[in-house]
Amino acid sequence: MDGDLKEASMEETNIGRVLVVGAGVAGIRAALDLAEVGYRVLLTDSSPAIGGILAKLDHQFPSDHCGMCKMLPVVGREYASQYCMRKGLFHDNIRILPFTEVRAIRGDPGSYEIDLLRRARHVDTDICVGTGYCTDVCPIEVVDEFNQGLTVRKAIYRPVPHNLPNMYLIDANACDKCGECVKVCPVDAINLDAADEELTTGVDAIILATGTELFDPAEFPEQTAYTRSPNVVTALEFERLISASGSYDGTLRRPGDGATAHKLAWLQCVGSRNRKEGRDFCSSVCCMFALKEAVLAHEKGPEDVETTIFYMDMRTYGKDFYRYREYAEEEHGVRLVRCRSHAVEPLEDGQLAVRYWDDAAEAFVTENYDLVVLSTGQRPPRAAVELGGLLGIEPSEAGYLSPVGFEKVRSQREGVFLCGSFMGLTDISESLTSGSAAAGEACKLMISMGKEPKGEPVLPAERDNVRELANVAVVLCRWNHGKLPPNVNLEDLAEMLLKRAGVGEVHIVDELCRGEGYDKALAVLGESQCNRVLFGACLPYIYRKRLKNMAREAGFSPTFVDVADIRGLILRAAVEKDIPALLRKVRSLLTVSVEKLKRAEPVETHTMDVEQKALVVGGGIAGMRAALSLADRGIEVHLVERTDELGGRPLRRLHYTLDGLDPKALAAETQQRIWEHRLITVHRNAEVLRSSGSLGRFRTVIQYGSSETIEVLHGATIIATGGHEAATVEYQYAQSDTIVTQGELEEGLATGAIDPKGLNKVVMIQCVGSREKGAHDYCSRVCCAAALKNSFKIREANPDTRIIVLYRDLMAYGGLERFYTKARGAGVLFASYDPEAKPRVEVGEEGPVVTWDDSILGQPISMKTDLLVLSTAIEPDASNVSLGEILGVDLTQDGFFQEADSKWRPVDFAREGLFLVGTAHSPSPIMDAICQAEAAAQRAYTYLSKPQVTTARVVSRVHEALCALCEQCITICPHDARSIDEQNHKLVVDEAACQGCGMCAMVCPNSASEMLGFGDKQIMAVIDASLAELPQRLY
Amino acid sequence: MQYATLNTSEGLNQALETLLGDLLDKGVVEAVMVPTRQFHKRVVMQSLIANRADLADLDPFAPVVTTNAAKQVAALTNRPAGRPVAVVLRSCELRAVIELVKLHQSHLDDLLLIGLDCYGRYENNAYLALAAGDEHLSATFVAQAASGGGTTLEGVEITAACQVCEYPVCDSVDLRLAVVGAEPGKQVWIEALTDKGREALASAKLEVAEGDPDGRTEAVGALVAQREAAKKQLFEEFTAQTDSIDGLQDALAGCINCYNCRVACPACYCRECVFVTDTFRHDGEQYMAWAEKRGLLKLPTDTTFYHLTRMVHMSTLCVGCGQCSSACPNDLPIMELFRTVSEKTQIRFGYVPGQDLQEAQPMATFHDEELDEVTGQSK
Repeated sequence: MDGDLKEASMEETNIGRVLVVGAGVAGIRAALDLAEVGYRVLLTDSSPAIGGILAKLDHQFPSDHCGMCKMLPVVGREYASQYCMRKGLFHDNIRILPFTEVRAIRGDPGSYEIDLLRRARHVDTDICVGTGYCTDVCPIEVVDEFNQGLTVRKAIYRPVPHNLPNMYLIDANACDKCGECVKVCPVDAINLDAADEELTTGVDAIILATGTELFDPAEFPEQTAYTRSPNVVTALEFERLISASGSYDGTLRRPGDGATAHKLAWLQCVGSRNRKEGRDFCSSVCCMFALKEAVLAHEKGPEDVETTIFYMDMRTYGKDFYRYREYAEEEHGVRLVRCRSHAVEPLEDGQLAVRYWDDAAEAFVTENYDLVVLSTGQRPPRAAVELGGLLGIEPSEAGYLSPVGFEKVRSQREGVFLCGSFMGLTDISESLTSGSAAAGEACKLMISMGKEPKGEPVLPAERDNVRELANVAVVLCRWNHGKLPPNVNLEDLAEMLLKRAGVGEVHIVDELCRGEGYDKALAVLGESQCNRVLFGACLPYIYRKRLKNMAREAGFSPTFVDVADIRGLILRAAVEKDIPALLRKVRSLLTVSVEKLKRAEPVETHTMDVEQKALVVGGGIAGMRAALSLADRGIEVHLVERTDELGGRPLRRLHYTLDGLDPKALAAETQQRIWEHRLITVHRNAEVLRSSGSLGRFRTVIQYGSSETIEVLHGATIIATGGHEAATVEYQYAQSDTIVTQGELEEGLATGAIDPKGLNKVVMIQCVGSREKGAHDYCSRVCCAAALKNSFKIREANPDTRIIVLYRDLMAYGGLERFYTKARGAGVLFASYDPEAKPRVEVGEEGPVVTWDDSILGQPISMKTDLLVLSTAIEPDASNVSLGEILGVDLTQDGFFQEADSKWRPVDFAREGLFLVGTAHSPSPIMDAICQAEAAAQRAYTYLSKPQVTTARVVSRVHEALCALCEQCITICPHDARSIDEQNHKLVVDEAACQGCGMCAMVCPNSASEMLGFGDKQIMAVIDASLAELPQRLY
Repeated sequence: MQYATLNTSEGLNQALETLLGDLLDKGVVEAVMVPTRQFHKRVVMQSLIANRADLADLDPFAPVVTTNAAKQVAALTNRPAGRPVAVVLRSCELRAVIELVKLHQSHLDDLLLIGLDCYGRYENNAYLALAAGDEHLSATFVAQAASGGGTTLEGVEITAACQVCEYPVCDSVDLRLAVVGAEPGKQVWIEALTDKGREALASAKLEVAEGDPDGRTEAVGALVAQREAAKKQLFEEFTAQTDSIDGLQDALAGCINCYNCRVACPACYCRECVFVTDTFRHDGEQYMAWAEKRGLLKLPTDTTFYHLTRMVHMSTLCVGCGQCSSACPNDLPIMELFRTVSEKTQIRFGYVPGQDLQEAQPMATFHDEELDEVTGQSK
């Protein structure tokens, strides 16, 4: 295997290679986005498995399902196995090295030399068939990290139980080398004396994605109950507790005694938002995590389950986060209690007493719970120090290696990029966005250095005998490891197969997976007269691809090649010692596979031309950046801007940022580069009039003013339509010049129209016309930061100004917490208000008077103010509605564009070839908009980098003579791949968009929707062959 | 609701002829599709009539439905002419039309839907025999049924499907010819349920009253209750007979793969049924393998499979018109089977076929939590 590493680097000297350190979701996203272009990726992880934290999470908000597989490529999907991503990742261009650490990094971009240390697993995962005998006999038990210590495991174990292949491993620290496992292993896969290996390899760029760390409450004195009661668990422990693969098979019980839990409490901000302890940041993810877990408790727990979340601010700042909070409260009755301090005391019966200050009752209240979950947050990973050390970069004050200026995924060292929670405190969607963005930066770097993607291999022509009668060649592998049970021999199977109609040849070859066996099989197949090949071998999820490639080399079309895992079946079934049953199973598997091949129909893939150009709609910062990013890759870009000026909101309305960056300079510089770029055509005062076509070949008409139009051909579309501050009529806004919006305040401060020297008292009201049913029912994310920013600006000029911020939940997520703390330290007053009892404003002779019900004093306070500042919502652009219709993409109920999947495909549309960035997606700070722009550019580039895309073999087709045009398939298609060709009265399939999921075939009553490669006749033959070996008739 | 009273002392058909003729004359519609006596005056078929004079032989109240007219409506409107047509339908036909509209096989834009109250129909042959002996069979039948005298004539009963039909009255129509609760020998009502219907009444210059006609609601309620009771009994009897695979196989044993039931079914809309495609043309090798496996292979094969497959496709859409059973040459209880199963599947998906155009068909909709709800499985 290590040979591959060296061979690859020698043979493919000019092929771009990237090291991705960390195989969590961000690292996987980055790896896939590079592999899809054709670059080689080395993906390492220090743990023995891939998937990171997400491998442990069965459920993610908002769907409360897992959706990791949505990351897999949708075009060119045959280069990757279409497998459950929590089980494993297989892609031709990605080499995965789990259990491997980076020891040294030398050199420069384009010629990095990396020393890796590959830890010994002691189990050869290529040979292991996963009988589990080793685990059964292992005498050593230690706590299981996968279940967060809630269960025990053996010294030989699978670190992630659902990973494939059978990723067994010996924990060298726990193992006492008793050798029992070696004795029982039927395939000799265990080597107790295996040593760690050192490897050196060369790469062009490096992406660091080693993830986050979570607080361990045992380390912190403020949560002693955690160490004193088993019924106090961390959020991740709760996730494992309730998982179907966790300790209680997916039921809700408490670990102390296994009793069903009825009353549960979540305590937020454990380990974070604590300046005293030097943890002056918000973990960013725990509020949503707790809401999701509470919802899960309602779904999986007993009928009478009660859930309470004790919080300081419910930070539902992301897209649709606030709606999920409403859903949790309204649909499930999750109770949210805002309180300033809480304590947990274990009681004798295992119950836990939670004591907190109740604002309404003005007293301490004690409630008893069955289970208490500590929302232990993310912390800056210590790996930042280590990896920073290898690279010679100092982590920032916040503990991270990024950002550099507005660039979240860049590090101070050229050619080294960051993503995921290693980059900062992020959630899943931001992790994936940053993964794509980091891949994009690496990609741009490699292009600038002349590194190329791997080309398509040149293959011999496919055989021309496919239309002849089906004639199957069977190649059976005789493996060396592990003996066959008595009475089972391959010669007998060969004889049985040869008797079957349609089987022309049977060859028995020693060790197919090794070099010699591979060559022998290739030779045998080269001479074969057959037109289909069946391999009887093992581990199809690893070898199917390889064996199919072999058969392809021998001229067989991949649709006529299949692999049957007879070895796994024989070894597993041999345990039962029921030889007749075993033989029946093996025979059945082989005959079923033969029947399947016999009825397989030739499926041609074909290539579709890709117009290697992009259209970007919207010339704000996100749109400009996406356009530049693609142009820097050599892609021609048409940038459409409705106004006569590029730059968007940063140029017009933003003047400074909390962390002292200059948005105007950024906008000006980006604009300058746009004008200078020879590959970018800017269409100002222009709008998209109509658009047709699909991925790779869109045809869009752009209109200038009211008459002149031009038509543009392009392969991908990026929507960056932006947004603006909403208008308001609330709080007497129109009645006084001393009532302004937050944006007007910033403008006034920057231009001097508002002089802080004249302001004694300023009141700011947050969430104006926001987070209310019917009025921008979402969090605009940027307004709390703007309030902080503008408070500092006022106080800089006039330290005596009294500033009071009336808020609902202060969305100082992640690193913003630091500024929130700083503002309070500087004397800015923050008072929360209840949306049921909003502040009241009266405009008197001497200016506005604001009255609010103070939650701490428990009585109304009135204050005359010199300036009342209203933080109104950020609204999506009104043109989104018509643009969505023109481009055939959906909007959310709030009028933003709807991405394909909020977590797993955050910048893609469900309709292939379209992407969304910036406020078109949701209100976002500049840094995030830039990150999205880079991500979308890379996602688009995975399609635009090649002049052609090849359609997959498994796609659906319309049998027009049978089709009644009932359109049920159009309604049900989740990929928008089907439509009516009105002119010709027929139903058409976009083969690039079709993912071969088969929903159309399912809903079509008369098989007018066909799945290529899954014909009705074939499937019925397979069912018949399966039933044939059953000992009795079913009906 | 608005309604007008039609004087039927000259005969039901004559009153209707006047009304439809007025709609033609006033240009409200350019043609009328209505059941009409054919050349030898006994067979009654839907006819598309563009000339007022040809309305003379209309006979929509004849107790026979030779074929469910939903398919004719689909044929007329699949690629619409864009010209207004009035269609006169019974509820089983109208409800099937609604389903076909959802399946994009039919379009309502051109249509003025006129629903008939229906006391039931006779099997086609039984009707011909009865009609041979009674020139005014329609009037006799409606008069007897409306006066509480039941639907049996000369010892002949209406079809089994009609006996258990709980939809004697059309709902989603523009105009409704209301007979139940009226005295059809003297007068019936015509009710307008939509704006289109009200406009049609207005152009026909009929005197309009507001509200429900006297006694109508009670009469309809009593009829539906009687049908519901019969339906319950049918389900019980049929379930007892087919509650095992053997029982089901026995009930379907006489199937000869003629596919008449599929041709007669108004909801079966495929251009060509999968069972007549190559998929079901088996090799000799296949027949031999089945025979060897089972010991005995009944021929033709794929009969139970055919009915079960059709049930998967159609049970949620079944409107219970019973044309399948009427078309079966071997008297298989197809209607009984479909109605019994459909009752369950339709309740499971909370779906009432033929009721609401806005209600999406269960097979074409996908809800995240549907698997849990419908099967009781948890994720």
